Amino acid sequence: MNHLLEVRDLRKFFPVHGGLLNRKVADFRAVDGVSFALQEGKTLGLVGESGSGKTTIGKCILRLMEPSAGQIFYDGGDITHLKQRDLRRLRSEIQMIYQAPAASLNGRMTVGQIIGEPLWIHERLKGDAARERVLELMNVVGLKDEHYYRYPHEFSGGQQQRIGIARALAVQPRLIVLDEPTSALDVSVQAQILNLLQDLQDQFDLTYLFISHDLGVVRYMCDEVALLYLGKIVEVAATEVIFEDPKHPYTQALISAIPEPDPDMRGGEIIIRGDLSHAFPQRGCPFAPRCHAEKLATCESVPPPLLEVEGAHLVACHLHPPLSAAEPA
Amino acid sequence: MSELLDIDDLHLEFDTYDGVVKVLAGVNLKMRRGDVLGLVGETGCGKSMTALSVPRLIPMPPGRITAGRVTFDGEDILSKSESEMETFRARHVGMIFQDPVTNLNPLFTIREQLVDAVLYQRQGGQKTPGRWRGFLPSVKQMRKEAHERAVELIRLTGIPDGDKRIYDYPHQFSGGMRQRVLIAMALAGDPDLLIADEPTTALDVTIQAQILRLIRSLVAQLGLTVLLITHNLGVVARSCERVAVMYAGRVVEDSPVRDLFHNPKHPYTRGLMAAVPQKDVNRGGLHGIPGIIPNLINPPPGCRFNPRCEHVMGICRESVPPAIEVGAQHSASCFLYGQDA
Ligand SMILES: Nc1ncnc2c1ncn2[C@@H]1O[C@H](COP(=O)(O)OP(=O)(O)OP(=O)(O)O)[C@@H](O)[C@H]1O
Ligand SMILES: Nc1ncnc2c1ncn2[C@@H]1O[C@H](COP(=O)(O)OP(=O)(O)OP(=O)(O)O)[C@@H](O)[C@H]1O
Ligand code: SF4
Ligand code: SF4
Ligand SMILES: [Mg+2]
Ligand SMILES: [Mg+2]
Repeated sequence: MNHLLEVRDLRKFFPVHGGLLNRKVADFRAVDGVSFALQEGKTLGLVGESGSGKTTIGKCILRLMEPSAGQIFYDGGDITHLKQRDLRRLRSEIQMIYQAPAASLNGRMTVGQIIGEPLWIHERLKGDAARERVLELMNVVGLKDEHYYRYPHEFSGGQQQRIGIARALAVQPRLIVLDEPTSALDVSVQAQILNLLQDLQDQFDLTYLFISHDLGVVRYMCDEVALLYLGKIVEVAATEVIFEDPKHPYTQALISAIPEPDPDMRGGEIIIRGDLSHAFPQRGCPFAPRCHAEKLATCESVPPPLLEVEGAHLVACHLHPPLSAAEPA
Repeated sequence: MSELLDIDDLHLEFDTYDGVVKVLAGVNLKMRRGDVLGLVGETGCGKSMTALSVPRLIPMPPGRITAGRVTFDGEDILSKSESEMETFRARHVGMIFQDPVTNLNPLFTIREQLVDAVLYQRQGGQKTPGRWRGFLPSVKQMRKEAHERAVELIRLTGIPDGDKRIYDYPHQFSGGMRQRVLIAMALAGDPDLLIADEPTTALDVTIQAQILRLIRSLVAQLGLTVLLITHNLGVVARSCERVAVMYAGRVVEDSPVRDLFHNPKHPYTRGLMAAVPQKDVNRGGLHGIPGIIPNLINPPPGCRFNPRCEHVMGICRESVPPAIEVGAQHSASCFLYGQDA
């Protein structure tokens, strides 16, 4: 299979300091054994509540953070331990787009300079040739030529995000990690940006890792969805499957809680207790303290592994026996 | 039955370095007791300013109300003195602010802040007797009662082990629990009106669902009147009975919730609905609204939506469309409806 990106058992721990001498007393497991694969030209949604580890995964893939363990393969090659020199090439292949458009743009540079900078860094392109490419990119993302000499603060949030997208496209990446690209935008502008991202994907055959906590947006954008809970994937499947037949109790609760803009769909939401809390170490299922399902004895003692319960549908819950166990071949 | 709140043709301007910003340009909004009204619209359209005009918390200057009236339970709010306003706020309006600066004070326990809120509201906004005077029997008794009320409020908002957790500091609470505390504080004085400005925007979807359910259950239990401000149409659909849609400083559509979602009339409302990624919208099926929100220093004349409207007509650039009946208790401010009237 032609996986452009594959992540195997990725872990990222942050030291927790404490005690009198402020020594490291424990590891905080922000990402705790995450595996997934992403097919070229497709979009995988990475969904989870705040603090579930989404951004950390994105940063590990771009090697903006060093993973604590695990492997990352890009285009067949192991990029987990690439040296600084090779990282530059990787970074023209993989780009990241951030949530807050304003914060990710240098306010002292003009739009032309912002979009032109990666062209200089990666291709040593300057002068008229660079200018031409920048104008082309601006055109692709729906900015006007006269915006070239303007500064980011003169633009609305949606237009700033267009600038960020143009900058990411400048180096002709194949994979883009989109970290909540529209969560700071109004809905009418969000729709424009989502449509732009879809058009660009078709036009340039881009592969997206789409990070979001908004399930409505994920349903619209993604081919496949992975749900994260406390640094672990609890369910992965094709988008229709996730939304039509969610298996994990957490996924079920999340989907039922989407505020659909339809008053006739009121009620029926599963309200789960509490919130994401790393407060106490969990021996069994990390979701057990909030789980509303009829739990089993093993829930509190054995962590459920992520297993295939139906074709290409993986779930980490004791209530769902793996394929092989259900139908011994 | 008469209105609890009647905002009539409210005009608000801000003086800024760049010029005069015409933030509200004739806002009309009515609420009856027991209403749960959603005020929706995109960023900067004036939702918070409209709400803040009721407890008169808009900073003036630089703000200036140039026309209009705000009537609450028959009383003219805009003509009250500042000390009358203090009492009015404490007795009649509970507020959950969007601005996090006005949130909980990290230096005091939840209990201290709740007790202060209760005392403040009991005293009608007058200065509360300080903790240092706690040895006076009357004050002691008052603080004891306030404590009991604080515990009751915390229970009401569904914080588990509330009577123990009340001694915690805000940082020991999660975002969702802090929001519950803020709701408790807003309810401390049994207000006639609860204004909740984006109460779930910063929260995760599972916590949002919890808070929305809490607000619904408080409405059912206490018969609250709620003005819920949000930019999320889904939140409105879930929680409100009526909706007012704002665009660039005006209410452009006002309707019972079902009618609005099934039969939106104003082109802006229709545009908003088409932009929300909902069930059964396939790839390429979303439609943004072209253009951007107008600059309010030089807003477009006539209907402020006209530069973005696909139905724009000559008259739209000349006059402001009045609110026109388009259904039962459903009005839209657009010349597409009843122009010949
Ligand atoms: N540099 C760091 N040092 C210590 N802890 C960190 C660091 N970066 C992230 N974390 C912690 O790791 C967890 C996961 O963070 P991450 O930013 O990946 O979450 P997220 O899913 O992107 O959340 P959000 O939706 O809020 O953006 C959080 O609890 C966060 O506090
Ligand atoms: N002190 C001020 N000076 C100048 N303009 C102001 C001031 N306060 C608010 N405004 C402007 O008033 C308009 C309405 O603001 P308001 O806060 O009511 O918007 P909102 O609908 O609540 O938006 P959001 O969804 O972002 O909270 C905005 O365009 C804002 O820029
Ligand atoms: S393993 Fe048990 S606790 Fe965990 S989600 Fe499944 S049923 Fe709930
Ligand atoms: S009044 Fe005119 S411009 Fe305004 S929404 Fe109606 S048709 Fe469009
Ligand atoms: Mg993040
Ligand atoms: Mg606001």
